[in-house]
Amino acid sequence: MLSTFLSQIVNGLILGSLIGLIALGYTMVYGIIQLINFAHGEIFMVGAYGGLAMFTYLLPTFVQQQWYLALPLLLIAGAAISTGVAVLMERFAYRPLRGAPRLAPLITALGVSVALQELVRNFYPGATAALPFPKVFVAGTWEIPVPGGTVPLRWTGLLIIVLSLVLAAVLTTFVNNTRMGRAMRAVSQDPDTARLMGVDTDRVIVLTFALGAALAGVGGVMYGTDLGFINIDMGFQNGIFAFTAAVLGGIGNLKGAVVGGIVIGLVKALGGQYLPGGTAYDYVWIFVVLIAVLVFRPQGFFGESERVRA
Amino acid sequence: MTTTTSPAGAKSNSPIPAPSGRLHRMAAPLAPHATAARVAGGVLTIIGTYLPWATFVLNEGRYPEQATLQFFTVPFGVTGFRLHLLIFGIAAIVLALVRVPGRGRILRGVGWGVVAVSILNGLYITVEGGGLGAITAAGGAVAFGAIVALLGGVLIVLGATAGGIERRPEWRWRLNPWAERGALVVAYLLLLFLVAAVLTAGGTGGAANPYSGAVFLSFLGALGGLLAALSASGLLNWVAALAERHRVFSVVVLLVVALALPLTAAGNEYWMTVAANIGVYAATAIGLNIVVGLAGLLDLGYVAFLGIGAFTAANLSGAAAAKFDVHLPFALVMVISAIVAGLFGAVVGSPTLRVRGDYLAIVTLAFGEIFVRTAQNNIFGLTGGSNAIPGIPQVELFGTRFSDRIVVGGIQLPAGVLYYVLIVLLVALVMLVFSHLKESRLGRAWIAIREDEDAARAMGIRTGPIKIMAFLCGATLAGFAGAFFAHKTGTVSYESFRFLESVTLLAAVILGGMGTVPGAVLGASLLFVLPEKLREFADYRLLLFGLALVFIMRFRPQGLVPDRHRRAELAHDPADEPPPGGTPATRTEVPA
Repeated sequence: MLSTFLSQIVNGLILGSLIGLIALGYTMVYGIIQLINFAHGEIFMVGAYGGLAMFTYLLPTFVQQQWYLALPLLLIAGAAISTGVAVLMERFAYRPLRGAPRLAPLITALGVSVALQELVRNFYPGATAALPFPKVFVAGTWEIPVPGGTVPLRWTGLLIIVLSLVLAAVLTTFVNNTRMGRAMRAVSQDPDTARLMGVDTDRVIVLTFALGAALAGVGGVMYGTDLGFINIDMGFQNGIFAFTAAVLGGIGNLKGAVVGGIVIGLVKALGGQYLPGGTAYDYVWIFVVLIAVLVFRPQGFFGESERVRA
Repeated sequence: MTTTTSPAGAKSNSPIPAPSGRLHRMAAPLAPHATAARVAGGVLTIIGTYLPWATFVLNEGRYPEQATLQFFTVPFGVTGFRLHLLIFGIAAIVLALVRVPGRGRILRGVGWGVVAVSILNGLYITVEGGGLGAITAAGGAVAFGAIVALLGGVLIVLGATAGGIERRPEWRWRLNPWAERGALVVAYLLLLFLVAAVLTAGGTGGAANPYSGAVFLSFLGALGGLLAALSASGLLNWVAALAERHRVFSVVVLLVVALALPLTAAGNEYWMTVAANIGVYAATAIGLNIVVGLAGLLDLGYVAFLGIGAFTAANLSGAAAAKFDVHLPFALVMVISAIVAGLFGAVVGSPTLRVRGDYLAIVTLAFGEIFVRTAQNNIFGLTGGSNAIPGIPQVELFGTRFSDRIVVGGIQLPAGVLYYVLIVLLVALVMLVFSHLKESRLGRAWIAIREDEDAARAMGIRTGPIKIMAFLCGATLAGFAGAFFAHKTGTVSYESFRFLESVTLLAAVILGGMGTVPGAVLGASLLFVLPEKLREFADYRLLLFGLALVFIMRFRPQGLVPDRHRRAELAHDPADEPPPGGTPATRTEVPA
């Protein structure tokens, strides 16, 4: 009984930290240009396919077999592809619309999201079905003994939790303590004043997209490594979850995104186990949480309530 | 009797001041030879039209494999795109030599038509293995048809631009009211034949007819050129003004014309079914247009209301898999479906009291996803889950099933024609409801909320209930359409109501133009006819669709048929897009 509960907690933490990693991209972009970057989920998906392409077409066999060589290379490839796509997307889809009515960029983001999914589906070999992803990290599980049984923790799951938290910490440090991070915060508070103070806002916005995308790309590769397969739908669903997490934590708030992600992960795991309907309805519970949060506490856990949103 | 405010002479017509843009810069050196360029373009177009025929048939060679695209089995027998090119070419020469008001602008439209047709055909011949623009090296014979025609088209466009693009002439002909009505009838009949021609262009696609997509696209290109030329001549605006003067009459004629579609070439079972499906989505899109276009509330889960209407109707239809063992008459089922959908609409709309803007969009998306998930899990046994609800009986009236063929006055009508009639009436009803709502106090309140919610509230509009009303009205219309959908298709499955369908509907509204009735219908028709016609691109359908959303937002956010109130704010080039007719007083006269 206890072991079931703790297993679900572990599952929730794994999924949750992954979602938190994606949510960081949402929250940064929203914080800086108030855009729900709908296509961010697809950036995560593209990262996974980038990692897979690296493994399949570029890595020699002896590197493929050594996880300490293969995994970092895959993560870098995923991050690089995601960043490239995100920068292009910002340049050609979003930048021309800066200053347009609010709904225009959101609809553009929908279009980009559909287009990216279809690009991968049509042009990545075999992507019309789910593709097997190499389990490059140490296989197997750590059976943690608890009273009345054991709690299995996959090594890949542990990797996801640790790496996500480390990356989130690095990002927070970057935003809080560097010159560029200060520029990002300035643009998010007031882009016009920031420009007057000599901040190159276009560069800051590109950097924001790039950072978020790099994290999503890393997330995509880890997701594939953990599950053993990837498909083109993975971006949409996890993207929605990540957006929910970003709102839950208070959009624009980095710590909030991670906490929100973990809450979402726990809701899904525990809801699927204990709420009526079982796993068939676990998605429904996440959306119920999303609606409830948006309606009753739109500023989230850590958001500033005075910020005007319309 | 016939007066025009536009000066007739091309020379005296000053071009739009400060011509800018790449096209103008490219055309500038041609300015002294504008007429020559126009004539040369027309001649080249005609030569391009006949070149492949001349190359292959005059040399007594065998016509190459791409013959289906070339239409030259009979010497001089021109049909299809060659006919269009020929007409464009002749028109270009005639217009270059004869002074007609607005001829530069007309010529530009003609030129773009030639460019579109020749690029499309050239590309197809190239891709299908005929060599670059029908340069078929086989047997040493070479034909540059598409390339020559393309050159001709470019020359026409450049010549037209170089000679100066005049303002669109404005015709103020006022005829005897009955003559005007007669003109309207003629215009609408032409429209009917145009629609039938678009539907049947290229025939039905598939393995037996590999060029149907090419022929269809080429036809669309030619049609675009024709419409651009007509619009440039000011005649379209004149017809629009006529329709405005005889509003009721033109609505009635339009309805009759729509009902007459089964009598044209498009009157077969296949197109009746496609038209019925388009009708369902058009009605739903108009409902969505209330929420998005009028009230400015972005709804990303809207197709759920169509689904709720359809599932309600399915359960009350007497189908074997239905939850309730009743079989109510269709009219009653429709009303119940609409009411149920409307109630759900009010529920989904209630967060609007607290949530605004893109947060609201996400809330509606969440509702849409919840609907799909619960329907997939067959909640309360109402939706059939992955088995769907099959076997919904056909609508019957006086013992006639709506799916049957019928004979009226000795004319054999295609199967499904009754569904077509029903959906046309339904869409007409929905349009009527929409346009009345739009002009009503409620509609003006919605528009006020769309423009500035806080200001609207300050003006005394109770924004909360009125926003919920928008969702309620929109969902009701979708519920109507859903009941029809359930009976027409016979099977209702959650698969039909996924997120992508919501995005498609939204795209239909945006593509057509937010807040306008013809816009939503046009958008829905385009988004559902194009995939039907372009089967060979089926794999790329969604890709093109996603890119189209991006490009529309980038280049024409106001849609194809912009709303009159919005036109002023969103029109990109005020010199190019004068306000629609009816406001001549504010127009600046062009100095002679």
